[in-house]
Amino acid sequence: MLLEVKDITVHYSRLPALREVSVTVDEGEIVCIVGPNGAGKSTTLLAISGVLNPTHGEILFDGDKINGMSAEAVARSGISQVPEGRHVFTTLNVEENLRIGTSIRKDRENIEKDFKHILEIFPVLAERRKQAAGKLSGGEQQMLVIGRALLTNPRIMTIDEPSLGLAPNLVDRVYETLIDLRRSRGLTLLIVEQSSERALKAADRLYVLRSGQMQLEGKAADLRDGEKVRQAYFGFEEGSADDGKVAF
Amino acid sequence: MDYIIQTVISALSVGSFYALGALGIGLLFSVLRLINFAHGDFITVGGFALIVPSSAVVATVAIGGLHPAIMVVAIVAIVVALAVISYFLVFQHSQTSSPATMMIVSFALGYTLQNLIVMIYGGRPKAVNIFPSLTGQVQLSDGVSVQILQLVIIAVTWILLIALVLFLKRTRVGVQMRAAAEDFRMARMLGVNGKNVIALAFVLSGGLAGIMSILFVTQTGVLIFRMGVPIMLFFFIATVIGGMGSLVGAVVGGYSVGIVSVVLSAILPEELRGFRDACVFILVIVILLARPQGIVLTKAAKERV
Amino acid sequence: MIEANTPFLRMVRSFWPLVSLSLLLLIIVAAVDLSGDIILAQTLIEGLVRIVIVAALYMFIGNSGIISFGHIGFVMVGAYATAWQTCCPYTREMFMPGLPEYLLNTSHHFIPAILLGGLLAALVALIAGFAIMRMSGIAASIGTFAFMMVLYSAYLRWSTWTSGASSVIGLPTTTTPWVGYVYAVIALAAAYFYSRSKWGLALRSSRDDEVAAKAAGVNVFGQRLLAFVISAFFCGMAGGLFGHFLGMLTVDSFYLGMTFITLSMLVVGGMQSLTGAVVGVIMLSVVIDVLRRLETGVGSFSIPSSSAEVGVGLILLIILIFRRTGLTGNAEIYWPFKADISSSGAMKRQS
Repeated sequence: MLLEVKDITVHYSRLPALREVSVTVDEGEIVCIVGPNGAGKSTTLLAISGVLNPTHGEILFDGDKINGMSAEAVARSGISQVPEGRHVFTTLNVEENLRIGTSIRKDRENIEKDFKHILEIFPVLAERRKQAAGKLSGGEQQMLVIGRALLTNPRIMTIDEPSLGLAPNLVDRVYETLIDLRRSRGLTLLIVEQSSERALKAADRLYVLRSGQMQLEGKAADLRDGEKVRQAYFGFEEGSADDGKVAF
Repeated sequence: MDYIIQTVISALSVGSFYALGALGIGLLFSVLRLINFAHGDFITVGGFALIVPSSAVVATVAIGGLHPAIMVVAIVAIVVALAVISYFLVFQHSQTSSPATMMIVSFALGYTLQNLIVMIYGGRPKAVNIFPSLTGQVQLSDGVSVQILQLVIIAVTWILLIALVLFLKRTRVGVQMRAAAEDFRMARMLGVNGKNVIALAFVLSGGLAGIMSILFVTQTGVLIFRMGVPIMLFFFIATVIGGMGSLVGAVVGGYSVGIVSVVLSAILPEELRGFRDACVFILVIVILLARPQGIVLTKAAKERV
Repeated sequence: MIEANTPFLRMVRSFWPLVSLSLLLLIIVAAVDLSGDIILAQTLIEGLVRIVIVAALYMFIGNSGIISFGHIGFVMVGAYATAWQTCCPYTREMFMPGLPEYLLNTSHHFIPAILLGGLLAALVALIAGFAIMRMSGIAASIGTFAFMMVLYSAYLRWSTWTSGASSVIGLPTTTTPWVGYVYAVIALAAAYFYSRSKWGLALRSSRDDEVAAKAAGVNVFGQRLLAFVISAFFCGMAGGLFGHFLGMLTVDSFYLGMTFITLSMLVVGGMQSLTGAVVGVIMLSVVIDVLRRLETGVGSFSIPSSSAEVGVGLILLIILIFRRTGLTGNAEIYWPFKADISSSGAMKRQS
């Protein structure tokens, strides 16, 4: 197991946002977490990145405890996050954005090689190399932040809602790229997705989170008909589909 | 015509000084959301570092008497050290607070520094004479004679500005600092060391303050514990009017305030001249009423204040 | 255990912070009065005047979340306005020759004089606040600082009305500890009731989340301006009290020193608590007094001058770093006796 989140509870002030949530990701897997708004999916990723500190529980990366480490230290260990909303540095140009990704690396030769490689994977970034990142379209920015995260040479990349604000065909391209990266670089991916359909297509394994608690876990292959996922997502009981009540 | 040229040079000189000051404030604000009320007092400390610590009426020059190059380096080093120590001892602990709390912290630091100076050096003004040759005049053309120091200030400002721009655009740490200034959390998530970037901002801000203290003392020839306060206010005004969170805005704001200040001095009637500062502030308020975010707009500035 | 089961006790309990603070001050004033110690009385009066100022600061800063460095400017406006009315009837023209005929020739009793001083300060606040309160939080704070500096330099130069850098001497020293006490209680009551009013509540909502408050229909600018003006009114009155305590006025006393000390008192006590205002004043007044005595020397031991200021600065820094919410933790004094929430208690209350 590359990444192991064990029963973490995360509080925002006194409000529990996550209650005893566990997630595991093996090397080379694509794992997706789905769930409705406010379920705590982003909170899970932020806890892994070190931005939030779990009040209970542990997070292990390659066997080492990483909860409580600073965000920079987590990035240095080999976990790279692409947070929700892209977060390009708008006042920097494309190249500068990408170079920030290399902040933690010291091996100059490999950095240059990787840099050229990223520009090959994302040719549109090569075109717009000197443009201010704020001027790129949504899809281009998404490519930029993925490329930037890749330049940190991570062993696992966490992505929060890659489809947010993008047209469906662009989302297809993004996912194609991600799956390709898994194939070519052995990159492990933990993706938070709103659309369970999309997640079922791309993932090896799936988790469903609702109201801060894990509702369902399983192989995507087993869950492909979507029924169990739908129930866990909305909180319906078997046979009460007309109910409409969402448990809080 | 000659009078106009002299006024223009004077305006540029004062504007340059305020631009440097606004830049010192702006650097720390963009990276840390800190309005440093102690910046003026850093400049004061740099000035007092020139003389022997004693409350004697006549100041004995200590560092101020050394070879000019050594003096400049020593003063800048002292102020940079002060700035960095302030970060690690004081500001680091309030980093997670609101900008308002950090503002009071810097106000407390500044006030404490002022009174430490009174404790060590006494409350009376002291005369100091450094770089006396710069206070002389130089003949630019027939009828136009300006103070050499004014030209020096303009030149020093532009050298520093260009150096800063090159640093921020061409060096790895500089780009990291720009990234951290825009989105601190994201920069950290990419492995940028937050503490180092902030410490670096303090080094730069302290360095600017150190250079300014030398320029300021050369011009006024006087050291008094409160001397940093009025100029600090002008730096803040310049930052606010230029657009907070933007370094370009700080420079634009500094020049604007400087130019308005000198022009007012030139055109105000005799009786009102003492109220020049009040007039500057009124003008600033009018501008802010029309454009509250400041002259230079950046996306960063919109989300900031 | 005292149950709040009569209408009177229930009222006392609901206004407990105000009642308890007033009682506390009453005890202190009575004790000092009985002791007959004149020096102690002087320190006490100064403390009571500071309570008026710090209560006003709490009214504005505590509820709006905007730090104001400018309120001492209002203290100065009120102080000199009072001097124009009550000072030195025979020598007034000598100190302030530029005053208009009416002011040179009339003298008011100190109570209406202080009131008028407060009103003038409120008017100045209305005008200045109109521009300043439109700015966002940090910019507004800088604006108040600029305002204070402008007022200071203006009063310094306006020597025909203020005696400039020299002092105006000869105000009647009518501020006794009991006079100070009455004004302190009035200020505390005003701050207390304002905070609990719908305007105070509206302003506090903007403190916690400006965007949400605006979305909920709060006129943030209007509420800020209201708090600014009311707090300026009390600061103006405090200025008058101060003048009638010292018997003289100098522009220089209303500058960074007073700004820093009063702000420190509020922050050390707890910025968002009225109890904090009083606690801060008491604590720091004691600290300053002790340090000043040490400065002048106890026996052969003395500490360097300006130690009091450095001491307050260090205390403020320590509080800000280690206990941001102040000594009171931003809480008020609450009714110490448990309310009887049992059903029999409820039945008793009903009958």
